[in-house]
Amino acid sequence: MKPARVITLIGKEGRELIRDPITLGLCAVMPLIMLFLFGYAVNLDVENVAMGVYDEDRTPASRDLTERFAATDYFDLRRTFGSLGELEKAMQQGEIRLALIVPRNFHRHLLEGAPAPTQILVDGSYPAIAALAGAYAEAIVSAFPRPRPSAIQPQVRVWYNPSMRSSHYIVPGLFAVILMAFPPLLTALAIVREKETGTISQIFASPATSAEFVAGKLVPYGVVAFFEIVMVVAIGTLWFDVPFRGSVLLFLAAAMIYVLTTVAIGLLVSAVTSTQLSAMLLALVVTLMPSFLFSGFLFPVFTMPLALQIYSQLFPATYFTEISRGIVLKGAGIDSLALPVSLLFLYTLVIFAIATRRLRQKVA
Amino acid sequence: MIDLRRAGRRYGEHWAVRDIDLTIQRGEMFGIVGTDGAGKTTLLQLCAALLDPTEGRCTVLGYDTVRESKAVTSRIGYMSQGFTLYDRLSVAENLRFSAGLRNLSAREFTDRSQRLLDMAGLREFESRLAGKLSGGMRKKLALCLNLIHEPDLLILDEPGLGVDPLSRRELWRMLEAFRERGVTVVVASSYMDEAERCDRVLLLQMGHPIGTDRPEALRLAVAGRVYEIVTNDPTRVAGELSSRYSAQGIQVLPDRVRFQHGSTEAPGPDPRLDSMGARTADATLEDLFVFHSNEHAEPFAAWGELPNVETPGAIEADDVSVTFGGFRAVDHVSLVAEPGTLLALLGPNGAGKTTLIRALCGLQPISSGEARIAGTPVTTAATSVRQRIGYMSQRFSLYPDLTVGENMEFFAAAYGLTGSASESAIFRARALTGLEPVAPGTRVEAMSGATRQRLALACSVLHEPAVLFLDEPTSGVDPLSRFRFWQLIRALASAGMVIVVTTHYLEEARYCDRIGLMDRGRLIALGSLPELRRQTASGDTDSVETVFLNALRRPGVAPS
Repeated sequence: MKPARVITLIGKEGRELIRDPITLGLCAVMPLIMLFLFGYAVNLDVENVAMGVYDEDRTPASRDLTERFAATDYFDLRRTFGSLGELEKAMQQGEIRLALIVPRNFHRHLLEGAPAPTQILVDGSYPAIAALAGAYAEAIVSAFPRPRPSAIQPQVRVWYNPSMRSSHYIVPGLFAVILMAFPPLLTALAIVREKETGTISQIFASPATSAEFVAGKLVPYGVVAFFEIVMVVAIGTLWFDVPFRGSVLLFLAAAMIYVLTTVAIGLLVSAVTSTQLSAMLLALVVTLMPSFLFSGFLFPVFTMPLALQIYSQLFPATYFTEISRGIVLKGAGIDSLALPVSLLFLYTLVIFAIATRRLRQKVA
Repeated sequence: MIDLRRAGRRYGEHWAVRDIDLTIQRGEMFGIVGTDGAGKTTLLQLCAALLDPTEGRCTVLGYDTVRESKAVTSRIGYMSQGFTLYDRLSVAENLRFSAGLRNLSAREFTDRSQRLLDMAGLREFESRLAGKLSGGMRKKLALCLNLIHEPDLLILDEPGLGVDPLSRRELWRMLEAFRERGVTVVVASSYMDEAERCDRVLLLQMGHPIGTDRPEALRLAVAGRVYEIVTNDPTRVAGELSSRYSAQGIQVLPDRVRFQHGSTEAPGPDPRLDSMGARTADATLEDLFVFHSNEHAEPFAAWGELPNVETPGAIEADDVSVTFGGFRAVDHVSLVAEPGTLLALLGPNGAGKTTLIRALCGLQPISSGEARIAGTPVTTAATSVRQRIGYMSQRFSLYPDLTVGENMEFFAAAYGLTGSASESAIFRARALTGLEPVAPGTRVEAMSGATRQRLALACSVLHEPAVLFLDEPTSGVDPLSRFRFWQLIRALASAGMVIVVTTHYLEEARYCDRIGLMDRGRLIALGSLPELRRQTASGDTDSVETVFLNALRRPGVAPS
């Protein structure tokens, strides 16, 4: 590798990129679009769940319980029912998603210290919301003051994301997915375009080696990708109010490695394709789709079947999701993230070696 | 300089080139000549150490191309086909990039780049982006990029392809200047006139060498075996000739029939030929390919009945202009072509040929002026006009994954032919284009360029159009198939069709009755070849290219 030649190649690539305002603009705008789209759209939070009440007791205690529901943001008290039949009908029609039923003698049982059963009915057709709303409702009921508290009172506390806001969970995961979406595509297109115009054969017919050629692509697109991640992290944490608990420096260092991984995947894609269209499709299939499904960005990996869990380890986005959530949400240090970081590093080296070999000297 | 020993290269099961023994001396201008797909590019890439030979050995400048490929590539210049520049870099930046790859010092770079830019006439365009240069300028710049390190060996793949005639001449002037300085030049070409400029040529046919020698010596080998009959009814004469005489190839030109003698023994006086008024003609390198072909000219009568053009109509363009934004792709063009004529539109890439054809078909909105087919304006009655037009586009727009039969059925349906009408149209078109031996179940991707060409033509005449447009119909086709194609086109014209052909192979225009020369959107001359020669004060035997260059030099036509 001759540094002068690599600099020549980087200079050429940089100039081409700067003179292509559309591509450059897309580099900046696409990640932001994706950030806002997913930051807002993927919302698993429970808010304003329509609820109804059937109060058979009609005592101050039962009214107090009902008010405690209505006072939260989680529930929106739509109706009180006169009969169980009416309530069932409203639930079936989707008018309410959750119902509180306070039986007769609720107040008396409380005073006597006897068990005071209440019933909560949840519409299970949206499982994610049903589970959360049910849990909230249960929490309200169990927090209801009673003269003689029961012996064991569980105190559940949620760590790292105490308010359980999904944006805190989604946004750090998005960093990994966004970086997997655009830099590989950009890199792959830049190389395959040279294949299409034939300029690549001009380079291979010169003293330049394929390692130099690869380095000449890697550096400019690595820089672009690094800017992308800095931008996405800055806007993501500020706009969505995601607390950044860990070290920014550590995060940037890990991001640097991840950026190289993504660009290397782009190289690999370009090494096996010969048209921009096929490069684009292949990049989509090997980067974006698996990183959505298997990185743990939306669906936790540990609940998947074992075979898929192992499979998910093949995708570098899995490691970076872990690193990103670790640093951003948990404030984790290098000691607890050493394994995913070094695996990511190893991953990058292997892909590079394969890509450079595939893109070697000879045209065919 | 170059030494190939039984070199061959295989892709999968297919040998792109095989059994090449070749020694090229220092200072030679060496041509590798053949049609598209003959293996020229593969052979050049073997010499440029870009490809490893599957068998045999390649030694270039004393280095083995497999083990010492970098030693080879750092000492040679290799210009690949097409326009391999970085469009978003300026002329100077492209040059600097090429110099940077080869570690030139700043002083060497300044000296040489200025000299090269002067030589190529690009000095004043130094800061222009390469993407904004004309085709000819781009090609000259690509050449400069490969000369910046002053290589001893220059390998060029089809330098003249798609370049305007003026730039092509300048390009060759540059090559000759470098050859005089001792640079060895190896050039691949499908233009026979380029081959004639070389010291020695290798003729390549389907990957096999069919001769390596000086062009004169190669032509001498077939001297006296090429004949021509001057006539004003060449179609009839060609028909007679093919029924009475076994010729290897027959070319039907507007004023004569030219043919290659079938037998291999030395030709003697032949009373049959004399009785038809045949006399020997000058042999060309193209004739050699015909003699080496293992096929024969098909008897003329073998073709089925000609299409029945119900209402023949002329095509007229009246002051037609087409503008894209501020750019005028077709600039005030007027022409008329009567039924039964073959009209050729000639010009380099970007001259506006395809845009003009698309405008005449009603596929491209006309900015000003009017185009009519049989008196009907194409713009007002586009659908009814399209029913009377056949269009065969560049690259033969067929569906490669479909079979011959499926392609024809599709195009028949597209022209509104159904049931028995479709069946009989397909039957007639297959017979006409000689596609009967090709099984209808053959997939298009498995067919040769020549067969695809005939299928594309068959698909475009299914509905028996009055006007047939052919856009670059003969690229990638061997000489014998080309002859046959032109005979067929001539026959279609005799059935009353108007046929408009575009081509950037200028010499192909000799087959046409009338020739329109196009340059940057304008029609700069129109007439038969003899008329054009007179109009441009050219000699009686001057090539189409010379006529074109003379036409460009006329007052009012000169580059603005």
